[in-house]
Amino acid sequence: MNDDLKDILANSNKDIDNQQLMNYLTNELSKADTHDMEKEMVEDDFLNDAVEGLQKIESKKNMEAYVEQLNTSLQKQTEKNKKRKEKRRLKDDTYTYLTILIILILLVIGYVVIKKYIEAKPNTNSTTNRQLTKEM
Amino acid sequence: MNKEKYSHIDDNQLLQNFYADKNNEWLGILLQRYTLLLLGVCMKYLKNEEEAKDGVQQVFLKAITELHKYKVDYFKSWLYMVAKNHCLMKLRDKGKHAVEINEQVLAAPDETTDKKKHLEKDAALSNMETALQQLNPEQLQCVTLFYLEKKSYQEITQVSGYNLLQVKSHIQNGKRNLKILLERLQKNER
Repeated sequence: MNDDLKDILANSNKDIDNQQLMNYLTNELSKADTHDMEKEMVEDDFLNDAVEGLQKIESKKNMEAYVEQLNTSLQKQTEKNKKRKEKRRLKDDTYTYLTILIILILLVIGYVVIKKYIEAKPNTNSTTNRQLTKEM
Repeated sequence: MNKEKYSHIDDNQLLQNFYADKNNEWLGILLQRYTLLLLGVCMKYLKNEEEAKDGVQQVFLKAITELHKYKVDYFKSWLYMVAKNHCLMKLRDKGKHAVEINEQVLAAPDETTDKKKHLEKDAALSNMETALQQLNPEQLQCVTLFYLEKKSYQEITQVSGYNLLQVKSHIQNGKRNLKILLERLQKNER
């Protein structure tokens, strides 16, 4: 009796077994399990609301199909996000390498152009000098 | 990821794994455990199977987004609050009901305080019988049949003649009143 009285204020926070819940909705639980489930419902507003809602779905087959669909789409969503993240990381890396390569190419081109310019400058000067001597 | 493979990991651990590597697949495993419950909650408030399905998807999306932003300690209570708020907002947008989202709905239940309170209550079991007798006859009958005689809701409806909703409400209100009565008795003892 004392244990039963204690039960009234017990605040259990057990994880919900989905199969157990399904069995409750289809009246396939034993008397004791049904009572346990209902006791959980008094303690747990989430479970209580869920049972009230699920009882409104007439076909239990539909219910299972909905859960399956929702889980598949959730799985796709969480996997997609991961793939997108990986893709983005790869893309980011490609941009970094590309930038480094472009900078290197620009440096090489710059070096070649400046070198050519410096080499070409004294030649131009000597040609001008030669022209001046001729004219005199 | 295989659902069975992770059945030994509890909700909290899955959440910690997610916070450690920010891999959404952990959230996928965690949220899948609540699909059926969420479908039920959405169905209760939205009363339409297609809308309930959409609702669950939006709750999933919201949960994934929000969990990236901040840390959640009591996942189950938090998820219930997200689902309930989503449905109430949806109803308010539709103008079906003038739903007032009060503080009780928005605030996450404080489980630590609750547990502490219940432990204190356990100590006062001797007052329970006295308190039981102070319940109104309907609540006394339903609470006694449910907790002491371990009858199911269905059986109580047959024995008492009340309908299912009345039985649930008498049990819940009876339990709440018992807590209040016990608190009063404890105060008087001091």
